[in-house]
Amino acid sequence: MSGTQRRPHWMGVRLLALVILLYLGLALSGSPGVLSALHKALGVLETLLPILAVVVIISGAINYFLNPKALAKHLGEESGIRGWMIALGAGVLSHGPMYAWYPVIAELRRHGMRDGLVAAFFYARAIKVPLLPMMVAYFGLDFTVLLTLLTLLAAWGQGLIMDGPLARRGAVRR
Amino acid sequence: MSGEKSVSFPKSLKQAGLSMLSMMPMILAIVGLVGLFQSYITQQMLVSVFDGNAVHDTLVGTLAGMVAVGQAIVSYILGGELLEQGVSLYAVTAFVLAWVTLGVVQLPMEASVLGVGFTWRRNLLAFLSTILVSVVTVRVLELWR
Repeated sequence: MSGTQRRPHWMGVRLLALVILLYLGLALSGSPGVLSALHKALGVLETLLPILAVVVIISGAINYFLNPKALAKHLGEESGIRGWMIALGAGVLSHGPMYAWYPVIAELRRHGMRDGLVAAFFYARAIKVPLLPMMVAYFGLDFTVLLTLLTLLAAWGQGLIMDGPLARRGAVRR
Repeated sequence: MSGEKSVSFPKSLKQAGLSMLSMMPMILAIVGLVGLFQSYITQQMLVSVFDGNAVHDTLVGTLAGMVAVGQAIVSYILGGELLEQGVSLYAVTAFVLAWVTLGVVQLPMEASVLGVGFTWRRNLLAFLSTILVSVVTVRVLELWR
């Protein structure tokens, strides 16, 4: 969350205007689902606000405590296996919707976090530790164990590709 | 990981808060879209797009998971319901995985915050990974069970 990002994102303002118009259009056309949609959106917002507050605190802490040298050691070019463990572990343990984590990740990238670790973090979020018992109940223990292991492997593989072939073509910011 | 601490912690927090504030229009837009999707995309609509073919269903499961939005717990419940209604495990696995790792609704925000190039490549990799992981998971289970 650098200073240059503090102006409202115009894409966001335009999208918000579009969504408001969509709601208004649906309401004016008498669509029965629009009130339910608004109610659900407010419910999502209610759940999201505490998470966003946590994200602001984490971002503030990153700004205050981390310096580029320290971050490069843990998540940068030289991070090695420790970087993968941190990215995968943080992905598995992180809560809330993916978009709530974009500001934190943007801040970490600004400080030198490798794109491969970002990709690994986002994909590892598919594993939800608190929900594993529920997955076992619905799909079985063997399914849950296998899917969890393969998801971690896929997250790592994506990271390697982002840092490897794509980076070599200059496609990925390193 | 101690930093240089050129700014105080409250000032760091304020900067982070202001930055978050600048992203609020995008976040509110996404929340609005989430409400619309949850209200207008029904389970019956989801079931109707699967035809029993493993390749087709894995692909459609991934696409449906990309479009659907909500808490991960909902994807498990929906996935269980889809299995009950005869949808293949290929489709359900892809659906559950894509639900959490891919999202059409949040693409504009990801592109806005992390860059278009990064977003495109990450989502393409995640899309291919989801198909691969789903197919391998179910194939291994078929051999195992």
